[in-house]
Amino acid sequence: MAENLLEVKNLKKYFPVKAGVFKRTVAHVKAVDDISFAVEEGETLGLVGESGCGKSTTGRTILRLLEATEGKVIFDGKNVMDLDKKEMRAIRRDMQIIFQDPYASLNPRMTVADIVGEPLDIHNLAKNKQERNEKVKEILENVGLGEEYMNRYPHEFSGGQRQRIGVARALAVDPKLIIADEPVSALDVSVQAQVVNLLQDLQKEYGLTYLFIAHDLSVVKHISDRVAVMYLGKIVELTDKKELFKNPMHPYTQSLLSAIPEADPKKKKDRIVLEGDVPSPVDPPSGCRFHPRCPKAFEPCPVKEPEFKEYGDGHFAACHLLDK
Amino acid sequence: MSKEALVEVKNLKTYFYTEEGVVKAVDGVDYEIYPGETLGIVGESGCGKSVTSLSIMRLVESPPGRIEAGEINFQGKDLTKLSEKEMRKIRGNDISMIFQEPMTSLNPVYTVGDQIMEAIMLHKGVDRKEARRQAVDMLQKVGIPLPEQRVDEYPHQLSGGMRQRVMIAMALSCDPQLLIADEPTTALDVTIQAQILELMNSLKESYGMSIMMITHDLGVIAEVSDRVAVMYAGKVVEYTDVDTLFEDPKHPYTWGLMNSIPKLDKDVDRLEAIPGSVPSPLNFPEGCKFNTRCPLAEGKCFDVEPPLENATEGHKVRCWRYKDLEKIKERGERIYEDRGVLD
Repeated sequence: MAENLLEVKNLKKYFPVKAGVFKRTVAHVKAVDDISFAVEEGETLGLVGESGCGKSTTGRTILRLLEATEGKVIFDGKNVMDLDKKEMRAIRRDMQIIFQDPYASLNPRMTVADIVGEPLDIHNLAKNKQERNEKVKEILENVGLGEEYMNRYPHEFSGGQRQRIGVARALAVDPKLIIADEPVSALDVSVQAQVVNLLQDLQKEYGLTYLFIAHDLSVVKHISDRVAVMYLGKIVELTDKKELFKNPMHPYTQSLLSAIPEADPKKKKDRIVLEGDVPSPVDPPSGCRFHPRCPKAFEPCPVKEPEFKEYGDGHFAACHLLDK
Repeated sequence: MSKEALVEVKNLKTYFYTEEGVVKAVDGVDYEIYPGETLGIVGESGCGKSVTSLSIMRLVESPPGRIEAGEINFQGKDLTKLSEKEMRKIRGNDISMIFQEPMTSLNPVYTVGDQIMEAIMLHKGVDRKEARRQAVDMLQKVGIPLPEQRVDEYPHQLSGGMRQRVMIAMALSCDPQLLIADEPTTALDVTIQAQILELMNSLKESYGMSIMMITHDLGVIAEVSDRVAVMYAGKVVEYTDVDTLFEDPKHPYTWGLMNSIPKLDKDVDRLEAIPGSVPSPLNFPEGCKFNTRCPLAEGKCFDVEPPLENATEGHKVRCWRYKDLEKIKERGERIYEDRGVLD
C-alpha cells in the first residue's frame, strides 16, 4: 500500500458570525466540523457534497488559505498548521490548487507567460529569463497550449483554455498534491471532458496526487479512486469509488445517487426525493445532522451524533442504522 | 403525430447587431411543440437555445436584437407579427416562463404573494382578496409548506429551491398552455433539482400543458422530454423523440456530447472529448458550423451547409456524413480520437 501523502485529522473551521454595534461574535458557522481523512500518494480522492457542505473550505484550510480553527493537516510527514510563514511558502511548492472559475482566478493584466512563470519566480526555479521562458513553454505544451499563446492575455481564451492555463500554473512548480476545487463545473459539457482527460494524463505523467472537490457525482466517479461524501461540515461516508456506487451505506449518499438525472430515458429510477433544504450550518440539527431530512431516521438520530467508523474493508460511514 | 401543433416555429432567425458585427444567435430554426408534450432543447452556451425561447416570448431586447425572419405560430397567430399590446395578453397568460436564477427574476422589494397576485389580477381580472386566495392555493400546489405564512415573505427569506417553486407558482397561476423553462434547475443542488423536476412532471400532467425545457444537461433532457432538439451554433442539428435520440444519435455532435459525460453505470478509462470549443457567433465557419470540431468533416462539409433532413421517418439530422457515422458506430469505434496531453 502506498504511503499517505496527506493526512487530515479532526479538522475544524468555524467562521464567526458578528452582530451588533461592537461586532461581538454571536454564533459560528461550522463550515467544517471535525473531519478526518487521508490521501495516499498517487491517488485521487474525490470530495463531494452539495453547496454549503464545507468541501471547498476543507480544500482551502488544508492549504492554509484559511486558518483552521482546530485540527492537524499532516503533509509529507509535517504538520502544516505548525509551520511559520517561510516554511509555509516552501511547502506550497508541493501543494497547489486549481480553482473553479477560470475567468476570475487569472489576473487579466498579466500575460499567460507571466501567469505561469510567476510561481517559478516566487520559488526561484529559473536561473534567468531564458530558462524561465523555456520552462513556461514546456509546461504550456504539456497542457495542450502552444508557444504562440505565451504573450496573450486571459480574455483572449475560451473557458476550457483558461482552465488549462490554471492547470499549467499549478503544475509549474512540480507539486506533489493538487487540490482541484470544482475544476470543470464552470465549463461547457463538451469541454469538461477535455479538462478531465488532461488531469488524468498529467497524473500519470507526473505521479500527481489529487484532492478532487466537486458536486457532480458522475465526474467524481470517473476520476477518483476513493470518494468522501460531505454533508453540513461532516464526512458521512468514505470508501473506494466502486464500493460507494455499488453499495452506498449512508442514507444521504443513497439519496444523492438516486437524485442524479441519468442520460438514459429508458431507465426509470426509484428515486429517493429528499424533503426540504440543507439546514443552516450556523445552527446545525442535533444528533445526526442529516436526521431532519433522513427517510430512515429513528430514535437515536436526533439525540446522539453517530460515530464515523469502519464497516468492512476501508468503507467508513457515520450512521446509527449501521449499528442496528 | 397527427395532432395539431400548439407552437410551430418556422425558419426563425434572431440576429443581434453589435459594434463588432452581426451575431446570428438563432439562424433558421424549425420545431413544433404539441399539446401536452415536453420538448427538450439541449445545447451548450452560445448555441442560441435561450434566444429561441426569448423570441417566442418576444423578450429579445431591441435594439440590438431583432427577429429577422420566420414565423412563430401559436393558436393561429404569428407571434412575430403581434403588437406589444397583444403580446402582453399572451405573455404570462397563455405562455409563461421560468428562468435559471430565481433570485434575479423575483423582485426583492415585494413579497412573493404580491408578485404572484400581480399576474393573477392582470390576466384574470379578479379582486385582491380572490387573487390572494389563488396565490396561496398555487403555493400549496407547488409544495411550499405553510403557504398562508410564506405568501407574505420576501424572496430573500426563501431558499433557492423554494424560490424556484415560487417562480413555478407564478408561471402556472394563469393556467398557461405553454411553459418555457430555461435551465430551471441549473443553479440548484442535485437533491433540490430532483424535487423540482418531479414537481414539474406532476404539474404538467395535472395541468395538461406543454413544456419547452431548455438545458445543457443531457440527464435532465432524458428525464423529462418527449422529443428533443439538439442545437449547435444557432441551428437545430438533430431533432427526434427522446428514446431514439439516446439510442441512435446520428449527428457527430450529439454523439460527442453523449460520450463526453461520464456515466454512473459504465466505467470508461478515458472520456471521448470533443476537441476545441464552440466557435464565436461573430465568426461562424463556412459550410457546416460543426466542421471546426468534427472528426468526420471533409470536402463538402467545409463548403456547403447541410440541410436538416429526415434520416429516418421522424428523425431529422443536419449532417452530410451521418451514414458514415453509422458505419463507425457499427464497428464499435470511437469517433473522437484520443490525442493525449498534446492535443
